[in-house]
Amino acid sequence: MNIFIERHRNIIDFALSSLLRRKGKNLSLLVLYTLIVFMIGSVMFFIQAMKREAALILQEAPDMVVQRLVAGRHDLIPVSYGGKIGAIRGVSGARPRLWGYYYDPVVGANYTLMASDGEPHAPGSVTIGSGVAAIRRLAEGDFVTLRDYNGAPVLLQVERIMPYASDLVAADLIVMAESDLRALFNFPIGSATDLAITVRNPREIPTIAAKIARQFPDTRPILKSEILRTYDSIFDWRGGMVVVILSAAILSFIIFAWDKATGLSAEERKEIGILKSIGWETGDVLLLKFWEGTVISLSAFLVGVILAYGHLFFFSASLFEHALKGWAILYPRFRLTPAVDSYQLAVLFFLTVVPYAVATVIPSWRAATADPDAAMRS
Amino acid sequence: MILHPAILALLVVSLLTSFMVLYAGWYGVRILLRWDIRSGSELQLSLERRTYLISTILSYVLAFQLLSLFLFIYTADHLHSLFAGAMCAAGTLNVNGFGYPLLITKVVNFLLASLWLIVNHADTRGYDYPLIKVKYALLTAMAPLVLLEVVLQFGYFTGLHADVITSCCGSLFSLERPGIAADLTSFPSGLMKVVFYTGMALTAATGLSFWRTGRGGYLFSVLSCLAFAISAASLISFICLYFYELPTHHCPFCILQKEYGYVGYALYTTLLGGGVTGLATGALMPFRNRASMVKIIPSLQRRLALATVLLYALFTAVVSYQMLTSSLKLGV
Amino acid sequence: MIELIQVSKSFNAGRANQFTAVSEVSLAIAPGQVTVLKGPSGSGKTTLLTLIGCMARPTSGRIVLKGFRTASLPGLEEAGEVEITSLPERFLTGIRRTTFGFIFQQINLVRGITVLENVMLPAYPTGEEHKTVRKRALELLELFNVDRHASARVDRLSGGEIQRVAIARALINNPSVIIADEPTAHLDTVLSRDFMEIVGSFKVEGKTILIASHDPLVYDSALADAVVEMRDGRITRGGIVP
Repeated sequence: MNIFIERHRNIIDFALSSLLRRKGKNLSLLVLYTLIVFMIGSVMFFIQAMKREAALILQEAPDMVVQRLVAGRHDLIPVSYGGKIGAIRGVSGARPRLWGYYYDPVVGANYTLMASDGEPHAPGSVTIGSGVAAIRRLAEGDFVTLRDYNGAPVLLQVERIMPYASDLVAADLIVMAESDLRALFNFPIGSATDLAITVRNPREIPTIAAKIARQFPDTRPILKSEILRTYDSIFDWRGGMVVVILSAAILSFIIFAWDKATGLSAEERKEIGILKSIGWETGDVLLLKFWEGTVISLSAFLVGVILAYGHLFFFSASLFEHALKGWAILYPRFRLTPAVDSYQLAVLFFLTVVPYAVATVIPSWRAATADPDAAMRS
Repeated sequence: MILHPAILALLVVSLLTSFMVLYAGWYGVRILLRWDIRSGSELQLSLERRTYLISTILSYVLAFQLLSLFLFIYTADHLHSLFAGAMCAAGTLNVNGFGYPLLITKVVNFLLASLWLIVNHADTRGYDYPLIKVKYALLTAMAPLVLLEVVLQFGYFTGLHADVITSCCGSLFSLERPGIAADLTSFPSGLMKVVFYTGMALTAATGLSFWRTGRGGYLFSVLSCLAFAISAASLISFICLYFYELPTHHCPFCILQKEYGYVGYALYTTLLGGGVTGLATGALMPFRNRASMVKIIPSLQRRLALATVLLYALFTAVVSYQMLTSSLKLGV
Repeated sequence: MIELIQVSKSFNAGRANQFTAVSEVSLAIAPGQVTVLKGPSGSGKTTLLTLIGCMARPTSGRIVLKGFRTASLPGLEEAGEVEITSLPERFLTGIRRTTFGFIFQQINLVRGITVLENVMLPAYPTGEEHKTVRKRALELLELFNVDRHASARVDRLSGGEIQRVAIARALINNPSVIIADEPTAHLDTVLSRDFMEIVGSFKVEGKTILIASHDPLVYDSALADAVVEMRDGRITRGGIVP
């Protein structure tokens, strides 16, 4: 066993000194490698973090949302439906929700207007998200003018600005009293935008959804699990697209690595010839090349992962965020929470280190199988 | 297809692995046809040099196979939320007809690659490459299986479509899809327990006997393979129940998750390891009397047999410990 | 004792530039003696050395080593005799590492690492403990009076010093056979005589020495027990036929 360990130690020793002897070549390889790991790592960690955020937020979402469809489009739903749905066995709550989108031509942004659920809001005042506050330069106590369905101005006072921490859900939100909302949008009494349904036993959700769909054929129930799945899919898809796009970069890197591995300088060839002539076997030289590759791979991987982590959590992935978050005017600014696990690292490993290893197998072998007697003649 | 980075990674790796194995297989055929150790010709020398490449390639293949096996299961588990009714990896694998065949092919390829490396190890210790033809025949047999795995993998992943909200139907179609719950068939647990422990005991006995005396290698190998199959079935039948403490949860993949302390990895590595070493012991039996192998193979086999016994013992120990300390008590 | 029986080595077989470096050479190298291969360049001396020294395989013919340590070759220890003709590279290299020490015409020290490391390099793959090897290497450097350069880079040494480092390297694994290819080619008369003195000390230790040289200082030396003349890959004079 000792022999085994000593042999590896000696060879690793020589591998390190060998790498240091060709700093230029190995440094360029290392930099590119790290860059690749960094890019893919950033994308993957970002996607993962976004999915986690979505899941966390949706935890608060109702189990099911019932919308009414007219001619295939989302329309207002009678509040009376809520009463009937609430009577279905297993349903613990059927609350009407009042909300809508408001386009602000001044800044070209869409806000989400919502009637407050739970505590009634003071009429004439609003609570706004920090995104709205920033884009309209509002502070608490300021007045903001919105136009109602007739175009008439409605004056509202900003009572409170929602904290930054709630940005992911509330950046573009304006919460107001129900009466104000109805007046603004001309929502008739007795109708709501949709119904939020809570169900006692989560396993029953699909059954209850089926019942609702049967009882009210003009509605569509949307399950929380479906929303989650859809978000997951979207983020996965986005992440996958970016990786596919980056595959061109990965491929170039692989070709570069292959080229570096094949194009041994005369000095390197001579060295290997010497090693083989003084008693190193092909297997030993292969091991040498393996360790050289491993040292570079591990260093690049480690540094790349750390940089990706930093990029993501200190700079919020500023290099990629537009491709990954989607297009909008009002971006919620939020700090992503770290979500790196061994699974992510394993996938990253497969996408970066494995192609590198495969690319260098044959060149390493060619180098290692040099004839020892050639060294005698050089 | 779901464009998840993990899926891309798995596809990339399986493509690369298959290229490598095909490349190795191609040269393997040449070696089979032209090998002549007594000749000093340049062809022979280049063939000998090529064998280094092939064993290096296969070592990498093995490492990747093992990692991708676990990654595959982990990914299947990870994706279960995208499919209505799928509770874990078992559900995801059930989404289309490629899932389970793919899993089995992956396991088989892993076992074959390990077997190849063990045979290669024995062969390099011989001064006349005694097992060279055996090795490369095995390689040519492996190549189509690896290709099969790639095909199945592509088929499986391209056939995965998440159950997401579409503009019109919302949730209704997910109600129409029949349940893909982890509906694994399992044998009656009492009988399986007896069979399981008997299998392990017999394997341990023959293994130790072989380790001491060097006799009964074939019997031991066959028993160890049977024990492998029995243990796999037992995992589904009763072992997992004790970990989940639920009499109905038969899925063998959930034990790989964090909430069970990742004990699944320990169980699967010991089981797979023991299966490989037991299989290899038997595979080397026909060659133990060749001149250059007489000193090598018997001692190698002994070590392999011992490894099998120890790994299986570890497996049994973990399982038994859980059975004894679990809050679940299954009526026998 | 090393025996070569009808050994040939050709390159590029079957192609236009095929050439035979060594042609049907039968030779016995007696243990404990100094054998000199004499001949012009291109006569096949170097190739013959590589064949004897387990560095290359003959295209045809047989090479047998008698009376050598075969502990590294499980399965081969019969009658103290090993035929190395068809051995896999692994075994060939194993024998070479422990049995043969090479001194090359071009010296072939690795640039960029220290003298000490160069001397220790052949022992790296054997898995021997680093400390032991280091000690031995330093002792060898001391023996040849170059220990003060142990941590220096190879580029800073003079021709004679480099030669002696190369010799130290050849001895690191305690070989019983020393093979030297044109050792005095880059040395002046004084250094060449020094080299022959070192050869003499090897002989006293009972090592077998094989030198290829066209330097009269070597083949006319009193130390040379056998002189084998070669031309065009064949032996023209001298040499014991096994």
